[in-house]
Amino acid sequence: MSPKKWLATIGVTSVFFGSLLAGCGGENAEKKDGEGKQGEKVEVTLAGWGGNPTEQKLLQQTLDDFEAKHPNIDVKLEVISEQAQYMDVIKTRLIGGEGPDVFYLDAFEAPALIETGVLEPLDEYVTDDFDIDDFEKPLLDAFKGKDGKIYGFPKDYSTLALLYNKKMFKEAGVEVPKTWDELREVAKKLTKGTEVYGLGVNPELARLYHIAESKGGKVVTNNKASFADPKVVEALQPIVDMHLKDKSAAQPNEVGAGWGGEMFGQGKAAMVIEGNWAIPFLQDTFPNLEYGTAEVPTIDGKKATMAYTVAYVMNKDSNKKEAAWKLISYLTGKEGMKTWTSKGYALPTRKSVAAELGYDKDELRAPLVAGASYATVWQQGTNLPIIVNNFNNQFVSAFLGERPLAKALEEAQETANKEIESK
Amino acid sequence: MKEKISKKALREAGSSYLLLSPTLFVLLLFIIGPILFAVYLAFHKVELLGITSFEFVGFSNFEKILEDTRAKIALWNTVKYVIIVVPCQTLLALVLAATLNAGLKGEKFFRIVYFLPTLTSSAVLTLIFMWMYNQNGLINNVLKLFGFPTYNWLGDPDVALNAIMIMNIWSTAPFFMVIYLAALQDIPDSLYEAAELDGANTLQKFWYVTVPYLKPVTSFVVIMGLIGTFQLFDQSYIFSKGSGGPNNSTLTVVLLIYQYAFKNLGTMGYAAALAFALAIIILVATLLQRKFSKEESLY
Repeated sequence: MSPKKWLATIGVTSVFFGSLLAGCGGENAEKKDGEGKQGEKVEVTLAGWGGNPTEQKLLQQTLDDFEAKHPNIDVKLEVISEQAQYMDVIKTRLIGGEGPDVFYLDAFEAPALIETGVLEPLDEYVTDDFDIDDFEKPLLDAFKGKDGKIYGFPKDYSTLALLYNKKMFKEAGVEVPKTWDELREVAKKLTKGTEVYGLGVNPELARLYHIAESKGGKVVTNNKASFADPKVVEALQPIVDMHLKDKSAAQPNEVGAGWGGEMFGQGKAAMVIEGNWAIPFLQDTFPNLEYGTAEVPTIDGKKATMAYTVAYVMNKDSNKKEAAWKLISYLTGKEGMKTWTSKGYALPTRKSVAAELGYDKDELRAPLVAGASYATVWQQGTNLPIIVNNFNNQFVSAFLGERPLAKALEEAQETANKEIESK
Repeated sequence: MKEKISKKALREAGSSYLLLSPTLFVLLLFIIGPILFAVYLAFHKVELLGITSFEFVGFSNFEKILEDTRAKIALWNTVKYVIIVVPCQTLLALVLAATLNAGLKGEKFFRIVYFLPTLTSSAVLTLIFMWMYNQNGLINNVLKLFGFPTYNWLGDPDVALNAIMIMNIWSTAPFFMVIYLAALQDIPDSLYEAAELDGANTLQKFWYVTVPYLKPVTSFVVIMGLIGTFQLFDQSYIFSKGSGGPNNSTLTVVLLIYQYAFKNLGTMGYAAALAFALAIIILVATLLQRKFSKEESLY
């Protein structure tokens, strides 16, 4: 490997050097241009991760509408390929002083980034017209700093819902489960060896958080991991048991699928718990699949689900803040949000837009919208990324039956807390 | 007189440095500078995002490594990987080179075919292998066909690292094969003729003539292999989507450094300390290797 890397280093270095020179030339030229037509156009950069082509088109349409309204603002959209690497890129660019003016921020990463002080508080920009009370409160609160200021406005969200395969349910003669106990029984009946599993499970904290806390235990206490709590273990044990004892649940890669939606679409799971993003995917990829959605089954009579939300935030070092705010206020305003969420790829965070688009009456999306009122927002202090990494790593080993759950979680908690303390 | 010489020498040196300057500039900016800066970082607690701060902390970043469970797991995984991959790829490279040098038909064709994996980008290679390693993918189907047990290559912590090992041996060996091939062509035929006169068979010729003659090259190949394998990153990053999972089984030292440097906030200094430690480990491993196989030509 290494000799190749040496070559690569030399190659990259020379390219760098070249682009450095080229870059200088380019910038000069641009400056001269700018001086020519003074203060005519402002270019605002907007960075986000890529969605599917239809989603990209929808965003472009929203941006085109915005540019038509503000002829002196140009929006330069920068798509950072994968969501998994998105934050690495954004952080590095912010450090280098090359951050975009406006960018996406997942609620999960928000507390840590707000704490570093690289984001512009937006309270001062807000006008009455913007109607801040229109946002779903828990979603807006996810982007409030410790100082109570708002650092971002949520652009959309999704909750989790139970997706079930209607045909398989009919064949097995079972009803859609309302509680987790029912779900466990139903899953057993739906399972056909290793061909079809009753439930597709994502053994990740992001998807299990609400279950983990359903018995009264806490996953995170005082910004530290506390998921080895017996109550958390008790709450998660059924998931592990479904995989190991009942053999009625499996994770997508056990059947060769990339994620839950794919597993469900291929007919390898009769039920999965997924979000809004699965609906357009299934429509595109598996148009003949007959499925329904229902609210996530209750545990001990309590409803619970997760909510994931992403906001537009502003770079504090931006020198085009006025234009940047105009962009944010349009994108998260009633008009922009309506265009962006019109096709149902994402759910609107504004109550008025949600009511207008009528997703609460949509057959497939109603359970997702209903979940918003009781959902836990996927966010928990500044150390959640560390906690999640350790939880996911060790939970899998329990899920696969290598170690008892309690022991795995205890080790994961210890490692996570050590990492947090040594920060 | 003396002055004149020194003036001339000075001018000569000046012009040489002038000619060297582009290279020197690049070296300083992209290699020596970053190395020194990394050493500086390793002794500081670094906060880069927001208010940039460098707080001198002495050796505490290094002390932290000793208590870091994940660092131990990463080091163990990496060592396991090195111990298995380096001998396998070296041996495979030697065997491949020897067969290609035996004067069979279609030698050139096979040389190209064998070398192809090395030309492919490792990211693309990993993605293709991930398809083949899929639960319903090619490899499991072939195993099933011959009645062998199948594995969840990507999801099972016990086999995930092995999957990466197999892939890397396959893709790196051809590169070293080319080096061996070049060295094989240097072996004078007279040696083989002499061996034949002594009544050596093919295997003996290989073992008593080829292998000893290639010793310096083997030493080079092993050192390069050591350095390369200790730096395993891209494959395990893509395999685990950056997490090092399942259950930390594909977590390597460089992946851990990456996580601390770019995923977590404010641990850049610790990441630099880890990188420094890795450099020392590689240095020690290389020195040990050199000690065990004294680098002297036998002929």
